Amino acid sequence: MVKKLLHLCFSGMLIVMSSGLKAQSDIGFGKYHTNPEVQQLLKEFSSGNAKLHTIAESPGGEPITVLEIGANLSDVPAIFVGANFEGNVPLATEGALYLSKLLMDSTAYTKDVKWYIMPQPNPDAAAVYFSALKTGQATNLFKINNDGDEATDEDGPDDLNGDGLITQMRIKSIEGSYIVSKEDPRLMKVADKKEGERGEYKLLTEGIDTDKDGKYNEDGVGGINVGIAFPHLFPYENKEAGLYAGQTPEVYGILRFIFDRPEISMVYTLGTSNFCMVPPKGGRKGDASLDKIKIPRRYATMLNADANKTYTMDEAIELFKAVVSPGTDVTPSLVASYLSLGPALNPLEDDLVFYKKYAEDYKKYLKSKDFSTETLDPTPAKDGSFELWAYYHLGVPSFSMQLFSVPKVKEEAEKEDEKDASDDKKKKEEKSEKKDELSEKDKALLAYSDAELDGAGFVAWTKVDHPDFDEVEVGGYAPYLETTPKADKIESLLATQLPWLLKLSTELPEFAIADKKVTDMGGGIYKLELYVANNGALPYPISMGQRNGQPAPVVLTLDGDMELLEGKLRTPLGAIGANQVKKYTWLLKASKNKSITAGIESTVFTDVVEQIKIGG
Amino acid sequence: MIRKIFSLVALFSLAVAVFAADEPKIEVPLRFDRYYDYNDVVEALEVLHEAYPELTKLESVGESEEGLKIYALTINNKKTGAEHDKPGVWVDGNIHGNEIQAGEVCLYYANMLLTKYGKNEQVTKAVDSNVHYIIPVVNVDGRNHFFKDAHTPSSSRSIRIPKDDDGDGLFDEDAPDDLDGDGSICQMRIKDPNGDYKPDPEDPRIMVRVKPGEKGEYTILGSEGIDNDGDGKFNEDAEGYLDPNRNWGYHWQPQYVQQGAGNFPFSGVGIKAVDEFAAKHPNIIVNFSFHNSGGMWLRVPADNTTVLPASDIAAYDVIGKEAIKITPGYVYMTSVELYPTFGDSDGQMFFVHGSYTFVGELFVREHETYKEKSDKPATASENDRTERNREQLKFNDNVVQGELYKDWKPFNHPVYGEIEIGGWVKMSSRLPHPFMLPDLVHRNASVVLLAANETPKVELEVFEVKELDNNLKRIRVRLTNKNGLSTMTAQAVKDKLYTIDHLKVSGAKVIAGGKINDYRLDQVSYKEHKPEVQFFAIPGHSSTEYEFIVQGKGEVTLEYISQKAGITSTSVSL
Repeated sequence: MVKKLLHLCFSGMLIVMSSGLKAQSDIGFGKYHTNPEVQQLLKEFSSGNAKLHTIAESPGGEPITVLEIGANLSDVPAIFVGANFEGNVPLATEGALYLSKLLMDSTAYTKDVKWYIMPQPNPDAAAVYFSALKTGQATNLFKINNDGDEATDEDGPDDLNGDGLITQMRIKSIEGSYIVSKEDPRLMKVADKKEGERGEYKLLTEGIDTDKDGKYNEDGVGGINVGIAFPHLFPYENKEAGLYAGQTPEVYGILRFIFDRPEISMVYTLGTSNFCMVPPKGGRKGDASLDKIKIPRRYATMLNADANKTYTMDEAIELFKAVVSPGTDVTPSLVASYLSLGPALNPLEDDLVFYKKYAEDYKKYLKSKDFSTETLDPTPAKDGSFELWAYYHLGVPSFSMQLFSVPKVKEEAEKEDEKDASDDKKKKEEKSEKKDELSEKDKALLAYSDAELDGAGFVAWTKVDHPDFDEVEVGGYAPYLETTPKADKIESLLATQLPWLLKLSTELPEFAIADKKVTDMGGGIYKLELYVANNGALPYPISMGQRNGQPAPVVLTLDGDMELLEGKLRTPLGAIGANQVKKYTWLLKASKNKSITAGIESTVFTDVVEQIKIGG
Repeated sequence: MIRKIFSLVALFSLAVAVFAADEPKIEVPLRFDRYYDYNDVVEALEVLHEAYPELTKLESVGESEEGLKIYALTINNKKTGAEHDKPGVWVDGNIHGNEIQAGEVCLYYANMLLTKYGKNEQVTKAVDSNVHYIIPVVNVDGRNHFFKDAHTPSSSRSIRIPKDDDGDGLFDEDAPDDLDGDGSICQMRIKDPNGDYKPDPEDPRIMVRVKPGEKGEYTILGSEGIDNDGDGKFNEDAEGYLDPNRNWGYHWQPQYVQQGAGNFPFSGVGIKAVDEFAAKHPNIIVNFSFHNSGGMWLRVPADNTTVLPASDIAAYDVIGKEAIKITPGYVYMTSVELYPTFGDSDGQMFFVHGSYTFVGELFVREHETYKEKSDKPATASENDRTERNREQLKFNDNVVQGELYKDWKPFNHPVYGEIEIGGWVKMSSRLPHPFMLPDLVHRNASVVLLAANETPKVELEVFEVKELDNNLKRIRVRLTNKNGLSTMTAQAVKDKLYTIDHLKVSGAKVIAGGKINDYRLDQVSYKEHKPEVQFFAIPGHSSTEYEFIVQGKGEVTLEYISQKAGITSTSVSL
């Protein structure tokens, strides 16, 4: 029934939209687009060299689409852009649409790179932003019985104060553990027993105990959060991820789509993390150190290794080479798998080099645009997120961008400190206490709500009737406050930040035969030396790609009337760093003045073919 | 020249390829002194279905990468209840394409249930109280190629998704080659005065490594083949490799962590279809996945990041500890004790579908015996290994009339010149000779039958109705699981995997209700909310008691509702 209503609403919107849409996209991005509007825009975009792929259907029956810009190009690398995986960052979807528009309006960045743009991988959750009741939820409409009782999706939150937002409810209770903050009466804090404080309130999500099991809002509508359901560090303990990666069709469809296209050599994510500004986070425990590999006792005898010693990866490879059957290629990934070294958990050192460099460059770029970065820090990428998966499993550069963040509040206390440093010890103590009560984030959110939204970012506590409690007030931060600026800010945010991603696209690796040398060794035998250059600013593969062996090989090929004495007809280039030149050598027998063909071949980058004259 | 050798060899191979020599008509009861190829398996399932249309349903759960249908035979006696009201027993096999006898175990189990129904008490009970889902061949492409193409006993395992194993940008371009055209990929050896090997003096077919300083006579060149892609390596990029038993969703890890994983969970369309079929049958409480070889009953977990609840281990033991007696020579242990793996079907079945899952590693090669009775214990020294090889060859010569081993024969190799090809043939090593197959399939199917007879069976008995004041009555009920497997795995309860099994009272207002800790001492833990519904599983061979204080008159119904064990109910008149 509700679905039907929603559907009616949508089709109604479609009619309204179709008249004004053209102008809309021409005048720019002054509003957030609903799901049908997004799909309609994509359909309009898809003509000529832009092709729209439908790759999956959400549990709620909405399409997951990818716009291919440069459908006429073949034999070129590609960049995949995904936005708003959690569905509650509508600005990211706008960003993907805006980026599409930028790419289609100019040919500068689409000459030799193909783009795949997916503005809305989680349409079920995205629709909630436009619905009458806004929850801020990230979950789709996959049926999950969260509480293991007889019914599914039977006890979600309820809009008790009728403001169309799900916020919180504070309940006067002798068992409560919260009190009203002294610093700002809007906020609640946990009572500190050591300070002689005693809890007065319970704090719950706004709603009633629909299924009367004593728990509130524990089994709402939905579902799986597409943004945490990818296979790297899949959060098994979190029911909102589903039971395994790719259980929900959006994720499965995205995985298949991307792996079917080995030319995808860089991935951008628009959401709440920001690898453009802050390199992917390290420091996670449990990562196997590849310089200190332990050989389990059960393999040690077989490998003639010492179980008490540690080995470097190169040493371990040598141990394996000695015992495998001849012809078996011993790679780091084979060793890692055999010894159960487990997945990489932290970004690899060599990759942090380019992440750090581009982060510096990006900050300079933003400064030049007078774009303030004095905002709340971006969220670290979540376990099971798309951007982590792209780096760890695809093994390609993965850049994410957070298009909006609430401005930080300038610390006035600090200024006072500077003025009067005499009894600073006492002051500092006070300050740290205050910090506990009102976090930097709370300060920023409240100030932003007051200054920019006329206080609408925080719903004032108001009394409501509740079937289970006597004294209940509803209030708290409005959903979407942190991620979603007012619509009139959209265009300038996108126009300032997104061009950076276009610039990054020019950094992709690019291979060429930089030089060639043929030396006559006598008797019809020649030495051939080819110098292969990576003219790009990024290595191929990146360090993580070398570790996981996932990126497709780039192969040097030789063809022609000759006999190889040393070397192969097909030689994988291996890893080549940014702006690096590598030499490859063959010994061959051929007649003088014969021509042979050398090529650089891959499913990722543009192929290169050159004729080489022997002894000429 | 090569062609001449090929035809000579072809003549020879006729003598070797005896298993496929006669093609008897497939009839019920099925025969198990032979191996069925993919088409035979389909036909066998069809004839079973035709012979027992009332008890069976035959359907394709999906198609493989190469478009072959994956069949499931469901055995259910509709007269004794609807399919999903009965505990489901799942049997699959041959997920690795070369592990073909696993398919025969599944066929045998189906054949046994159907042909002995009404004649044997245990079988009749299993058919009447359970539903059986049987997928004899999961990797249909693998089995199909194993029969049709030349292979070693260990190839044609993969999902047929091409993979660039050697990293040269080409896919599956250098598989072994059946140089002598005999249908098997055997070994190549070359006479070499500097070689590391010499013939065993007692049985010159056996290659023995020379002692340091000693001169050998042969070099072993590896599996039969040529360097198809000219990269200086032999047979290094054969079909796949994508391991169909490392591609499942639960605890999947990528290729660099788990060899054979594939690009992402369920990238194989065939196994995705099989998993979806399992998901459609939430009543499945016990699974068997048959593999070869080694003689093992493996239970979850498959990796060391998980610890199982103790009561689940106890449930596993009910079957595992009997299984090793039914199948002599097998051991019962966790999958991770063998070696840690990620993304196998057993994790998916247990942690996602909530079913007690066993992996059966079929066939103990030590059962190929050729010796007098002896009390001497076996050891594993080099001498003993050679001794064991001799014994295996004698077994081949005199017990199976030379059908498992191909004697070394000269061959003119395009690269190496004069070499010899010989060794164990495709249908050896991991597969029992057909004469031993009936014993293997019967014993292993007996384990499945035992498990079926241990699936949960709940009895519900109101043991007290007592009048209290204020028109209140106290009802006490005892629930007993007569069999060895729990109504729901403890892991599934912990994870709230699906609606937890529950006891529900209707027909009167329930004022209070809860679990009786000691009914003689009136010790009860009442549930605060919704006392009329009590959520709990009943572990195997155990009883539990509940109490309800109700208000009202007339008929009160008590129902125990279990997704796997069905619905059990009783009623009392107040």
